[in-house]
Amino acid sequence: MQLTGMLYGARLLRHVDFPTAEVLGPGASEDELQDFIARHGLVFVKPLFKGGVGKKGKSGLIGKVRDLKTALAEKERLYFVEHRHGNSIAKANGVTFEAGVPAEHEVYFSITDDTRYRAPTITISHKGGIDIEELGKSDVATVPFEALTGLKAFVVANALTDLGAPREIISPLVQHLPKLWELVHHYGMTTLELNPIRMCPGPGGRLTPVACDFKAEFDRDDPRVQRLDLPDHLFAADLSEFEHEVNQLRTHQGQSDVFVINSEGTILAPTFGGGANSLVTEVLGEAAVISSDFGGNPPYEKMKEVAAICYRHFLKQSNVLFIIGGKSNNTDIYETFRAMADALREHFSTQGPTPLYVVVGRGGPNLIRGFGALSETCESLGLPYRFFGFDSAISEVVNYARKVDAWMRAGGRQQVAKAIGLDPAAHS
Amino acid sequence: MYRQGIAGFPYYLGIQSLADIATREDRVAVLNIIGGESKTVSPVSHAFSGGNIVFGTSPGRQGQVLETPSGDIPVYNNVREALNAGHRFNFGVVYLPPSGVRDGVAELIRVNPDLTKIVIVTEKVSVHDAREIRALAQANGIDIFGGNCLGVADSWNRVRIGGALGGDKPDETLQKGSVAIFSNSGSFTTTIAQYLATSGWGTTTLISSGKDIYIHYSARDFAHALRNDDRTRSAVLYIEPGGYYERGVDFGKPVVACVVGRWKSKLTRAVGHAGAMAGAGDSAEDKERWFLEAFGTEGIFDPEAADTSRLYSAKGALVTNISHIPDALTAVMALNGRSPDFAPQGTLSLKPWMVNDRGLQLPPELEIAPIEAMAPYNVQIAGLKRQIGAVVPRQNMKDKSGATQLDPSTQVTSVHGNRVLDLARVPLEANFALPLVHEIGSDNDRAMLDIAVAAEVNLVRDPAVLIAVDAAREAGNSPNTVMAAAAAIIGPRRVERALACTRRLIDLFAFSGLTDARDEDFDVSKIQVDEATRELFRATPEEAEDPRPEAILQAVRDRGSRSVFLKFIETLDQRPSRDALLAAISATIAWEPLVRKKISRLTAETLPWYLRLYGVMVGATIPKEGHQYGMLCGIPRAERFGSWTMADLCYLAITGKKPKDAEAQPLQMLIGLLISNGPGAISAQGAKGAVSADGPQTPARVQINKAMIGFLTHTGYSHGGNGYEGMAFLIDQFKSTGLADPTSPDHGLDLRAMALRYAEGYQAEKAATKEAGRPSRSIPGVHHPVFKGKAINFDPRERFIAEEMERTNSYNVFHAFYRELVQALYDVGASPYVFCVNVDAIIAALLLSLLWKDYKSGTLAEADLENAAFTIFLYGRMIGAAAEIDDHINRGRNMDTRTPIEQCGFVV
Repeated sequence: MQLTGMLYGARLLRHVDFPTAEVLGPGASEDELQDFIARHGLVFVKPLFKGGVGKKGKSGLIGKVRDLKTALAEKERLYFVEHRHGNSIAKANGVTFEAGVPAEHEVYFSITDDTRYRAPTITISHKGGIDIEELGKSDVATVPFEALTGLKAFVVANALTDLGAPREIISPLVQHLPKLWELVHHYGMTTLELNPIRMCPGPGGRLTPVACDFKAEFDRDDPRVQRLDLPDHLFAADLSEFEHEVNQLRTHQGQSDVFVINSEGTILAPTFGGGANSLVTEVLGEAAVISSDFGGNPPYEKMKEVAAICYRHFLKQSNVLFIIGGKSNNTDIYETFRAMADALREHFSTQGPTPLYVVVGRGGPNLIRGFGALSETCESLGLPYRFFGFDSAISEVVNYARKVDAWMRAGGRQQVAKAIGLDPAAHS
Repeated sequence: MYRQGIAGFPYYLGIQSLADIATREDRVAVLNIIGGESKTVSPVSHAFSGGNIVFGTSPGRQGQVLETPSGDIPVYNNVREALNAGHRFNFGVVYLPPSGVRDGVAELIRVNPDLTKIVIVTEKVSVHDAREIRALAQANGIDIFGGNCLGVADSWNRVRIGGALGGDKPDETLQKGSVAIFSNSGSFTTTIAQYLATSGWGTTTLISSGKDIYIHYSARDFAHALRNDDRTRSAVLYIEPGGYYERGVDFGKPVVACVVGRWKSKLTRAVGHAGAMAGAGDSAEDKERWFLEAFGTEGIFDPEAADTSRLYSAKGALVTNISHIPDALTAVMALNGRSPDFAPQGTLSLKPWMVNDRGLQLPPELEIAPIEAMAPYNVQIAGLKRQIGAVVPRQNMKDKSGATQLDPSTQVTSVHGNRVLDLARVPLEANFALPLVHEIGSDNDRAMLDIAVAAEVNLVRDPAVLIAVDAAREAGNSPNTVMAAAAAIIGPRRVERALACTRRLIDLFAFSGLTDARDEDFDVSKIQVDEATRELFRATPEEAEDPRPEAILQAVRDRGSRSVFLKFIETLDQRPSRDALLAAISATIAWEPLVRKKISRLTAETLPWYLRLYGVMVGATIPKEGHQYGMLCGIPRAERFGSWTMADLCYLAITGKKPKDAEAQPLQMLIGLLISNGPGAISAQGAKGAVSADGPQTPARVQINKAMIGFLTHTGYSHGGNGYEGMAFLIDQFKSTGLADPTSPDHGLDLRAMALRYAEGYQAEKAATKEAGRPSRSIPGVHHPVFKGKAINFDPRERFIAEEMERTNSYNVFHAFYRELVQALYDVGASPYVFCVNVDAIIAALLLSLLWKDYKSGTLAEADLENAAFTIFLYGRMIGAAAEIDDHINRGRNMDTRTPIEQCGFVV
């Protein structure tokens, strides 16, 4: 759950009275825009992405304008622009207009939980405005602080002093930066980064830090995020319909996030346990439809509902239903397998049969009862299956599932289709 | 702010050695002890650890206990109450929901001065709370394990605390040895221990660390305790991406590190510094590099690599696949001069415990034969195998069916996955078997069914039925009511012995290894038979006059059919009863699907009842005079038993004649089409209601004959007589044409002219009724509410049959007329587009074609035609009803067809 940009960033910073650059959203009229440019002289036009998309500047996705005509041209260029980073493509939907803030000093500041210290930690540099990785170590201070007492002014003052920061920026930063801890800690954030904070001279020459860009990551397990009343769509970045549906069932008992790996994949693998999830994702690669962790002893009803959603979205295209996990410690195999089996039976009842080979690798409490429930269902649905116990190497079981998938692609699917009374030609 | 623990650490750490983590001296308090997870896990932990849990808490439940094999654990409202009650503990375990974890930790720390360690099992604790928990514990000098973990265990001390390491059988996994495990994955902590045993490595201390942002007991802390534990000679780490916990750690002893998550990192989205701040430089690749540098090795250890020598060192090895851990550890420890702790236990090779390839042709590398599971799982699997046939979960079956399904888009019903259109092409005996075996039976099964039913049709030896049927017919009842009179007499006692024989045959052969009931080479001598069984199968003296047992056995020989069960009964060397043979035939038909668990044992056991009902109900449609000793409508027993099909029998019942050539073909097609219209059809509702009322949850009490009566009472002149409306329409059009043979294309009629004539009349009538403000009448067999709106419309069911007729070079003049008619209606402007010829039209066309010659000759009056149409409908629905009855008995609940009161209405 990430949020970038000043459109919502400015609103969040106002919760703790942190000064921000003025910003207009995509709905700004030409008159408003003209007035905005007249007041600020320099305006940045930035595409609006959902979720966390960084490195926009480096990708040429930030427009710098001083007149309305250029502003509108940049708006047109950037409104639906695509941003490619590695394998991911993000598509913009709108732009923001952010006022340029004249300043001599730019500051980098972030708060995050650093695993080196196992404590909340600030990172600060008085040479901000560029990527933090590009700064020399002596220009950056990283300082953990006490979570129970919070970020105190002296922590900031000490860090800036150690860095040798210009005197005139220390006092205003010491005054304003500790407020940001309130925003992080009380609103469910795990990371907040402001870069740059431009030190804007005010009346009498005193500098005021003004946040000119905003990046935050939220903790989806923290209900405090809801205090911000942010619209859900902000975090619906790349969520497919399936992800949205299945992750609504996410609770503390069972099931971590479920992602679609390849919506065209042919192995549907409900996976139990984070370890198994990593392994399965690794070995199956693009053949896997989803990446999931349904461990944590989910109750029958929930498991059945989750399985039904998975089947509804992906069973038709799947060659292999691959139920895989290590030797569970606590997850009741009977309950979870019975749920998945019943959901499978109901799916076949309502959506009709589909050619499928069922491969299972699992261990844990009530294992054979669980195997029994699933095998009964496979038998009655006419599906072929192979269930491996926990004494088979899990990675070999995953490889086996891959081989079955390959066989299904090479004509096995037609064989199974015929065996369950479907037209093989329709499944070639 | 932290309390100084072990010197040299810039934070609090109190655990000096792995041996101190989970000891027999630790006394444990469990918060939320009777929560869902704890109540199953804690009793096992308590018993395994020698009773180390002194109490648990659960607000508001003071006074309750958690029962365990080692005695009850008392439950208090809170920690203070327990301390006041005199309990003392040093180890807290937190099973609270996420929002309560921080407060639970605070309670443990503030209330109990003796506290030294905590396990947080709960997952999805917010980062906010985790950072405060860390600070709280650091300030007060407490070691925390987790969160989001499965706790800690010690194979030497026989202790596990705070989670389910080792599952419900910790003894199975926690085997004493020399390897410590530290794992980010809870389930893999146990799995790795399991895998290590396959190479002879046992364990010392196992730590499930969790993998939240805050790992309270981390790899660095573990390394310190590892160095100080004399029992432990090496360690296995299972590490996932994220965090700097393992960077630069000196473990001091050989380590195998399994780092996973490379591929998954591709899934992460492009993020700027905000995301990268927490994640930069701690990817799976980064972590692999840290370990490679620490071990001085050149790559990921893979036991199958051509040259592994540079992939491990005395310091350790990196793997990315957990099944490589045992080999890697053995290699590393060999360099340290250490051999495994005990003899290897099993292997990690692929061992399928349960398999069914359903006869598919798999490539050899996939066709791995099932291997007997280790104890005690082998015994449990054997127990499963002892269960015969499928077991279907019960549910409310009102308006639902597991047997039939009507596709609303095509209006085509499927019965056990077979479209009725396809069933129309299948021999009738296969259709009669379908409801009971849930698949299209083999030629052998079909022949068996033909014999079994043929042996029941002639009612001359059952005067009670014959008299009842005749009386019902004489009273002016419709054919369904007449059939019901016969079905009423075939009650439970009439099939008691046949069902008992079937049950006994299943018991005798269930674990004999018999898979193919046609396999007459099967050695039946190994089947042990006692006198009670022999008596069960033996004909009684009262049955001495019944010639049918011998006739049945002769028919089986004549048809070249095979049955292990018949062969078995013959080996008993006694005169078998007709029931015994019916049971043997039923068992033959049911055996394969039963063994494959396609059908339930209940279905197999009740099969004789259905077969007897089929025969008697068909027999009931033949007038009394047709039933003679040894003859049915003039056809001798041997001929009927020895060669007749179900279609022949039904044709005989309808027409009183033996069919010639392909005369029975249209009848077979018709019955196939009429089998079912899904569970919503009135006939199905009647059958299901009858089952529901008897209570399928006590299946022995369900009267299958009564359920058949339920179907029969739910048919009638409206529901069953539809075919007749179409016939009456066609008779009107053709009765004065002189048509001799409706199956000959050389009929000499101008169908186009006939159709136009009718269409013009209809158009005129339509205009007149419109003028009068009345709705116009519809033409039977024309138009359909689903298949409409295109320039030319087709009912796919009609098309299917038309194509089938073309394929078999069959012709039907009535059908051809219908096709002309829909075009003519459009041509004269009576329809806005070319209506479809619907499935009722084709049923009427086939029916009338079947009966035309008798009608024209005067053998059949128009009233007889209606009866005949209705009877054929009943034959079809008899099959569909059997499917619903069997399905509802197997799946349904008692009285589940009731309609909730809120869905009922009152009208005035």
